[in-house]
Amino acid sequence: MKANLILCFISSIGFFLSAGAQDKSTAKYGNVSVKDFETKIYSIDSNANAVVLADIGSSNIEGNNKGWFSLVYKHFKRVHILNKNGYDIANVSISLYSDGEDEEELDKLRAITYNLENGKLVETKLDVKSGVFKDKISSSRINKKFTFPNVKEGSIIEFEYTITSDFLTNLQPWEFQGAYPRLWSEYNLSLPVFLGYVFLTQGYQRYDIKNSNQRNESFQIIDSRGAGASERYSFTANVDDHRWVMKHVPALKEENFTSTVDNHISKIEFQLSEFRQPLRYTNVMGTWTKLTEMLMNSEYFGQQVTKDNGWLKDIINPIISSGDSRLDKCRKIFSWVRDNFTCTSYDRRSMDQTLKNLVKTKNGNVAEINLLLTAMLKYINADADPVILSTRANGYTFPLYPILSKFNYVICQAKIDDKTYYLDASEPQMGFGYLPSRCYNGHARVVNKEADAIGFNSDQVTETKTTTIFVINDDKSNLVGSMQQTPGYYESADLRDRIKEKGMEELQKDIKKVFGAGITISNFGIDSLNKYDFPLGIHYYFDITDEKEDIIYMNPMFGEGYKENPFKSAERFYPVEMPFAMDESYNLQLEVPHGYVVDELPKSQIVKLNEQDDGMFEYRVSQSGDNISLRSRIRFKKTYFLPEDYETLREFFNLIVKKHAEQIVFKKKK
Amino acid sequence: MKKNILLILALFFLSLTLSAGGGEYAVSKIPDALKKNAHVVKRMEQMRFEIINSGEAVLWKKYALTILDEKGDEQAGFQEYYDRLHEIKNIEGALFDAEGKELKRLKNRQIIDLTGSDDENLIDDRRRKYHNFFYKVYPYTVQYEVEIRFNGTLFFPVWLPREDEYYSVEESSISIVYPSDYTVRYKAYNYSGEPVSSAGEKGKKILSWQIRELPAIEDEFASPSWYEMNTVVLFAPAEFELQQYRGTMINWQEFGKFVYELKKGRDQLPDNVKQMVHQIADGIPDARQKIAKLYDYMQKNTRYISIQLGIGGWQPFDAKYVAAKSYGDCKALTNYMYSLLKEAGINSCYTLIKAGRNANRIIADFPSQQFNHVILCVPLQKDTMWLECTSQTLPAGYLGDFTCDRHALMINENGGTLIRTPRYSMLDNLEVRNIKATLDEEATLQVHAVTNYGGLQQDLYHELIHNLSKDKVKEFLHEQLDFATYDVNNFDYKETFAALPSVQESLDITVSNYATITGKRLFIIPNIMTRASRKLPAGEERKFDIELNVEYKDVDTVEIQLPDGYTAESVPADVSVSGKFGRYNCSVKLSGNKLIYYRSMEHYSGRFPSKEYPELVKFYETIYKADRNKVVLVKGQ
Repeated sequence: MKANLILCFISSIGFFLSAGAQDKSTAKYGNVSVKDFETKIYSIDSNANAVVLADIGSSNIEGNNKGWFSLVYKHFKRVHILNKNGYDIANVSISLYSDGEDEEELDKLRAITYNLENGKLVETKLDVKSGVFKDKISSSRINKKFTFPNVKEGSIIEFEYTITSDFLTNLQPWEFQGAYPRLWSEYNLSLPVFLGYVFLTQGYQRYDIKNSNQRNESFQIIDSRGAGASERYSFTANVDDHRWVMKHVPALKEENFTSTVDNHISKIEFQLSEFRQPLRYTNVMGTWTKLTEMLMNSEYFGQQVTKDNGWLKDIINPIISSGDSRLDKCRKIFSWVRDNFTCTSYDRRSMDQTLKNLVKTKNGNVAEINLLLTAMLKYINADADPVILSTRANGYTFPLYPILSKFNYVICQAKIDDKTYYLDASEPQMGFGYLPSRCYNGHARVVNKEADAIGFNSDQVTETKTTTIFVINDDKSNLVGSMQQTPGYYESADLRDRIKEKGMEELQKDIKKVFGAGITISNFGIDSLNKYDFPLGIHYYFDITDEKEDIIYMNPMFGEGYKENPFKSAERFYPVEMPFAMDESYNLQLEVPHGYVVDELPKSQIVKLNEQDDGMFEYRVSQSGDNISLRSRIRFKKTYFLPEDYETLREFFNLIVKKHAEQIVFKKKK
Repeated sequence: MKKNILLILALFFLSLTLSAGGGEYAVSKIPDALKKNAHVVKRMEQMRFEIINSGEAVLWKKYALTILDEKGDEQAGFQEYYDRLHEIKNIEGALFDAEGKELKRLKNRQIIDLTGSDDENLIDDRRRKYHNFFYKVYPYTVQYEVEIRFNGTLFFPVWLPREDEYYSVEESSISIVYPSDYTVRYKAYNYSGEPVSSAGEKGKKILSWQIRELPAIEDEFASPSWYEMNTVVLFAPAEFELQQYRGTMINWQEFGKFVYELKKGRDQLPDNVKQMVHQIADGIPDARQKIAKLYDYMQKNTRYISIQLGIGGWQPFDAKYVAAKSYGDCKALTNYMYSLLKEAGINSCYTLIKAGRNANRIIADFPSQQFNHVILCVPLQKDTMWLECTSQTLPAGYLGDFTCDRHALMINENGGTLIRTPRYSMLDNLEVRNIKATLDEEATLQVHAVTNYGGLQQDLYHELIHNLSKDKVKEFLHEQLDFATYDVNNFDYKETFAALPSVQESLDITVSNYATITGKRLFIIPNIMTRASRKLPAGEERKFDIELNVEYKDVDTVEIQLPDGYTAESVPADVSVSGKFGRYNCSVKLSGNKLIYYRSMEHYSGRFPSKEYPELVKFYETIYKADRNKVVLVKGQ
């Protein structure tokens, strides 16, 4: 499981604290002194525009007066702004959740800017009354925004605030890493033993301090919601104090070929799992089978799929005919859903409307569309179930923990004649049995009684691309060629999108641009443009009308070669995650131009990426009589590479680019 | 014609009570000429802008769009912004199929209410209402109707029937309804004839414009402004109100008086800042130097933060506010700089401008609120100095392509005067590059490139130096250069800070497999770093004039040391082109085992008739090809 590579199990990594290492941050709100301005360049990152001197958060749980518990989150942050490019960190946005009735509360906000003016410390306080603005982002999100006053190059800024939340499921996560380097990043969590949370940790940075202690605390709950006098409860319970500290955390970097940077950031998250004594025991997180059972019974998920959807008859009957095989029926229903509905959100795991309404409005989110598909397949008694997953941009899900909130996407599993198909009808041009590459993100779950675990890994998908070119002399001794290409399935999907957006002519124009002025293209055609189950077939003829020089230089890749190394940067910090495995082959049959002889041919070469043969590049050239054959093949079986493999990958593509640039040289016969 | 208007109004009332339906929007009714090159057809549009009094107005509009194919989808949604000065009263919408049968009506709860702030703005009161039927059985028709109340009359709507390329119009009309003692001003582009005037209720006057059957136009490279290519009528008040402020815009001077009123008296500096001004400026005899020093002080002590709330979108925060908070938006910072200069005894003018690349199109003969930014103009005895006060990095006096070469409205106590900001000439925007490179037997090229970027050509590098950390610059260089596999070993930027700034860049790069060495031959492109990338589609019939805004010159000298023992087999001939659009020369020769390459490119600006387009295509094509010419060398012989 890929996710395992990412989950960093700290206990298995030994670490040592150097003797006498600082174990408490000296920073406290208000205790900035002249000395703090002395450092102008920080050794952690001499290029940093700003350095977070301390970022310290804590969460604990208190009894409230609504008869239950509240989360109290405190956040303190101090930043040294070193130059103008660090000014953006002085704009702060605090996100608060609201369920429409209750809203998380922000209070005790204060913020100061410190400047050193003529050797003296000058403080400017944020005017909280007039300087904090509210921006309603959605019905459930409110942002409170402010900016620090009097910020200059060299300023130190700090803020502190408290958020009180009645939503026990919103225990604040902690990101140890961010856009700026951090000297000290610390999170403290005090958890009474009667509330069970699962801790989810990820990232490559190790903790400098990680410990926990138990103590006793008394809790008071007041219930003043009823009509009569308020009721009071008090009890004592054990509380675990957890503390995590990371020092000298480098800034986060964005890189190509990652699923999402969120999969790599050092952070810790919490998921409410159970209530324990003295509360009534409740398993909040449950098990996978409980989760899928809940989903199956949910009004906005499974209920609409499993109930007797008699009304579907009128829709399905015109689509299928009685003579169809089961597979054909399923295919027809799939195409109908795909072609008639617009997906308005690719980031939803439940329905916002009924299936009936969906059919009326013809648009809905990805869950709605694929649940409709599932319901229709079930209606004709096909073995179909919904599948929940998390897209690449949304991050990995954890096979160990049934956490629904980590999922953001729904597809359909159909078992037809002993074959299992995974279907996504939300993408307008996706074929039967194909999933968009965003779905290949590891662990997923079938929403059925067994809650089957499945895995969608990018190395299960191979993009196979073949290109064949024939070039011969015509009766006027001009070189003419024919080109036939079948791009990989996902490349075909991209091309379909482009053709849809810009039209076929634009694609032709682009091909012409690659060839340049000396070549004319004719009989251009694309097969399978609307047969989404198949990759495209591109074919055309071309004439090479270049003047007949004494020497002809010809690149035998005809614009199909790699001209750029996809791995541009010299260094790599995260694993390389390619969207799919690949197998690209290129074949050329070339007749030597009339009146010329071959003066030079590129040399054949075969290279393996590594001993495991995870990747291979083959470049073979041969000549027999007047015929030259060339074959270039690039094959990748693996899609996931660790940063230490990066240099090898980069070298590998460097070699491909080099070979693909080589030329054949023809000389005029004397 | 009067009848027509009445008919339109009658239709309007009918449509409020009856569903439009009845096949009115059947696609079969669209004339073929309007389907050509179109993804969207505006079937009808009625706008009615009623001025209640000099401070209030109501815009009502109703329109129907037929979306012919997927490419028209992006026009199918409804979106309107609102803020404290604009209130959306009512939104109606309906969806029709190809036969014009009504499928659906919009329900209020389907309208999404979103924040209108973009990232730049820390806070503003702009929000937007959004709706989309997300239908995808083509063709289909959407119809929307909306009423917006204007609390303030600084802006009037624009009538712009054809809103985009590949977009045709069946019919569109606008009526302006105003009290008889009120003056409405307008300016029409590509509208033949005069508006129809008629009488409305309660003694109000009505002016109406109407157009039918506008075919779709295609997207063209370097086309002129939208107003020139389309039927457009701009409207503006004579007298207007914004909160408690009143003004007129019958001419630039009067409009300037209003702007002046908004900022008047907001130039009081706190004592400590006043002292600072004298400390900095007193004793410097030269005015330019004085200004540069104070500008530097302003840049070091403020930053740009946008806060636009209600009238705050038009009125600057006062100088005291900026002094206390050390931040402000363009208005506040410009006013602050004005105040600093005033304290130093230097007169300057708050100046409204329309900022943005290629946004240099103020309609000079139609005084109205066309601006979106404020800069400071400092008239000196001999010349004028311009200050962009939202930048913490620009040298005093330089504007860049965000605000250069366009009209701007200079404000002082006498009102407004329309003037032009500086224009940077071809030789101002000069790039001179010198490359010394060595190629080894493995085809690896060591490049040492020194480039001097001037004027607008240095804008990007100025940003690089000031907005990115060294790591990020390195990352940028690792992504941007046009080589297959390369490493940037060293880089350095030196900036010459002046009213016409320049940046000198030194790069040390190792390029793997720069050349192709096969057995006995060596293929190499002598133009290492300055390859033109523009290619235009040929053979298209050009409809509108060509407008090229920026002129520049590039000069390149390259010297490549080759491995020993090669002689020339094929050396590209010199290329030399000269014409209306520019002048280009390049030449390469082998001297011993050194390749010497020279390239010079002059790109002119200006306006050219559409018939010159094929020449422009050829100009770019020739350069594109010449920039990639290869030298072929053979070993031995």
